[in-house]
Amino acid sequence: MYRLIIRRIIRGFVALIVFQTLLFALIQALPYDYSVLFFGDSVLRNYIKTTLGLNRPYIIQYLDWMTGFFHLNLGKSFMAYPIPVTTILLNKAPRTLLLFFSGILIAYFLGIWLGKQIAWHHGSKFEIGATLGGVATYTSFAPWLGFLMLNVFSWHLGWFPFQKLIDPNKWWRVNIPADLILGFMVISGGLAFGAIALLWYFTRKLRHTLIRWAERATGCIIIGVTLWVWWAHSGFDYLAVDILSHLVLPLATVILLSFGETMLTMRTTMLETMNEEYVTTARAKGLSESVIRNHHVARNAFFPVLTRLLLNIPFVLVGSLAIEIVFRWDAMGQLIFNAIEYQDIPILMGALSFVGVMTLLAHIFLDIFHIFVDPRLRYTGEFS
Amino acid sequence: MNNTANKHYPRSRWFIQRQNLLARITSLQKQWRLFRQQPLGMIGVLLIIIFGLMVPAQPILMKTIWDRRRYDPYVGFDIEMMPHPSSPSSIHLLGTDGMGRDIFSQLLYGSRNSFRVGIGAAIIAITISTLLGGIAGYFGGAMDIFLMGISDVFTLLPAVIILLLFGLIIKMNWFLVALTYGIFTGLGRQAIVTKAQAVSLKTKSYIESARIAGGNHLHIFSKHILPGLIPIALVHAVMTVVGAVLTESLLAYFSRTQDYMSWGSMIWMGQRTFRWFNFKGTWSTIVPPALSIMLFCSAFYLVGRALDDVLNPRLRKR
Repeated sequence: MYRLIIRRIIRGFVALIVFQTLLFALIQALPYDYSVLFFGDSVLRNYIKTTLGLNRPYIIQYLDWMTGFFHLNLGKSFMAYPIPVTTILLNKAPRTLLLFFSGILIAYFLGIWLGKQIAWHHGSKFEIGATLGGVATYTSFAPWLGFLMLNVFSWHLGWFPFQKLIDPNKWWRVNIPADLILGFMVISGGLAFGAIALLWYFTRKLRHTLIRWAERATGCIIIGVTLWVWWAHSGFDYLAVDILSHLVLPLATVILLSFGETMLTMRTTMLETMNEEYVTTARAKGLSESVIRNHHVARNAFFPVLTRLLLNIPFVLVGSLAIEIVFRWDAMGQLIFNAIEYQDIPILMGALSFVGVMTLLAHIFLDIFHIFVDPRLRYTGEFS
Repeated sequence: MNNTANKHYPRSRWFIQRQNLLARITSLQKQWRLFRQQPLGMIGVLLIIIFGLMVPAQPILMKTIWDRRRYDPYVGFDIEMMPHPSSPSSIHLLGTDGMGRDIFSQLLYGSRNSFRVGIGAAIIAITISTLLGGIAGYFGGAMDIFLMGISDVFTLLPAVIILLLFGLIIKMNWFLVALTYGIFTGLGRQAIVTKAQAVSLKTKSYIESARIAGGNHLHIFSKHILPGLIPIALVHAVMTVVGAVLTESLLAYFSRTQDYMSWGSMIWMGQRTFRWFNFKGTWSTIVPPALSIMLFCSAFYLVGRALDDVLNPRLRKR
C-alpha cells in the first residue's frame, strides 16, 4: 500500500516536470516578447531585453526557470517590473479563493441536494424542470450570463453595486489595503464553514428530526452572531459588507454556471445505486424513505461526485476568466488574461503552474484517498 | 451425415455478414426505442434538427429571396435604415448590428461554424481517447505507464488558456480550434475514463475465448475491445461538442479567431453598440446569439445525457 502511494507521488512528480517543460516550450513559441512594446527604439529595446534576461540562450532560461520553480522563486513580473511573481500571486489568490471556492462549495451542496431530489422523483415533471434549468444555466455563455445579471440586478433593480471589487468612496479614508480585509474574510468564512461542518457531524446521530434541526438552527445562529460580533468589534464591518455586496453577483453567476453538472452527476450515480439489492433489503426492513435516500443511496454517490468536483477545479478556474473580466473582479483570471495580452512570461508561467500544481495535488490526494477507501485497489494497483 | 443436411454448412461469408448486419440493426432499433422514451433526449434531437436546418437555410435564402448587398453576413449594409443598430422589423427580422448587417442572416451563417467546430473537435477527441485508452487498457505494462503519463500531463493544462495563447502564435480558424480542443480533451480525462472501461472489458470471458480460438492482438483489439468502447465514446463525443462550442465562442468573444462569423464574435460586436443603460432598442444584437449558444449546447448536453441513460447498463431498470 505504501509502495502504491510512493509510486503515485513519483508519477505526479514526473508529470509535473513534463508539464513545466511543455509550458516553457509553448510560451517560448510566442512570436514576440515583452520588448515589442518598445519597438522603434532599438537601444531601449535591447536594454529591456538584457534587463529581463530575454536574450539569453533558451537552455539557460529553462534551467533558470526550473531551479527557480523548485525554490518557489518564480521570477519578476514584466508589467510591474521589480515585484516578484509570488507576491502578486499571493496577493490575488485570496480574491479567487473568496469568489470561486465559496461559489464551488455552495454549488456543490446545492447540486447534491437537488440531484438527490430529482433522482428520487425519477420520471416526474419536477425532474424534467430541474434538469432543463440545470442544463440551461450550465451551458449558457458565461460573459452573457454575467452581463444579464449586471443589467437586471445592478442597473435596473439597483440592488447591488455595478462592477469591481470595492467602492472607492467607502475606502478612501481607511488606511488599510482591501486585500487584508479580504484575507480576514476568507479566514472567517473558512472558520464558519468548518464550524458548520462540525455541527452537522456531531448532530447527525440525534434521532428526533425536530430536535436535530432545532440544534442545527441554533448552532448556525450562534455561529452567525459570533461572526457578526467579531467583525463589528473590529470596526471594519462596513468594509466587509461593501466587499460582500460586490461579491453577490459574481458568486451567483459562478453558482448558476456550475451547479448543473454536480446535480446531473449526483442523479446518475444515485440512479445507478438505486437498483442495487441492499436498497431493496433496506426497504424490506421497513426503513423510512428519507433514511434510505440519505444513508443508503446518497452515501455511495458521494465519492464520484467529489471526484468530479476536484477534477473540475482547473476548468472552473479557467471559466472564471470570463466572469472576472465581465465583473472586473481583479483576480487570477484577469491576471492571466492580461499576462497573455502583454506576453508577461513570468506571471503567465507562474499562474499556470500554480493552477497545475493545485490540480496535481488534488489528483494525488484523490488517488491516495481512493486507496484508503477502496481496499481492492491495494492488491490490483490499478488507478481509475 | 448425409449431404443434404450438410448442404448449408459452412455458411457463406456473405450470409454471415448479412446476419451480423441484421442483428446490429435490430439492436440499434431497440436502443432507439429506449432513447425515444426519454422526453429530454427527444427535445435535444429536435433542437439539433432545427439548428441543422439553419445551416443550409442561409445560402438558400441568399440565392433566392435576400438581396446580397443588404443581407450579406460580412459586407451587407442597409442604406435605407438609419441609425444602425436598429431594432427588429419586417425587413430585418432580428434587426441590424452596429455596422448595418442583418443579424438573422449572421445567426444562420454562424450555425455552420458551431456545427463544424463542435463535430470536428468531437471526432478528433474520441479518436484519440478511444485509441489511447484502449491500447493502454488492453496492453498494460510500459505502454500503460507511458500513455497515462501523457494524459496526466494533459489534465493539468487548461484548454482555454492554451487556445488563447495559440491565438497569439497562429491565426486560428475553425479547424485549428477544433483540433487543439479535441487533442486537449481527448488526451486528458477522456483517455483515463476510456482506459478504465477497457481494463474492465479485458477481463471478460469472451476476450479469453477469442484468444484461445487463435485471434491475435490486432484482431481482438479491433473486433472486441473497440466495439465495447463505442458507448462511452459516444457520450464523450456529445460532451466534447458542448465544451468545444463554448470554448470557441469564448475565443471569438475575446476576438482571438480570425475573420469568420460565429455566435461569439456576434456577441462581441453587439456588445460594443449595446446600450445597457436603456435596455430598449438594441437588445437584439446580443440576445439571439447568446440564446443560440445556450440552446445549441443544451441540445447536445441533453442528447448526451439521454445516450448515457440508454447505453449505461447499470441505469436500466431491471
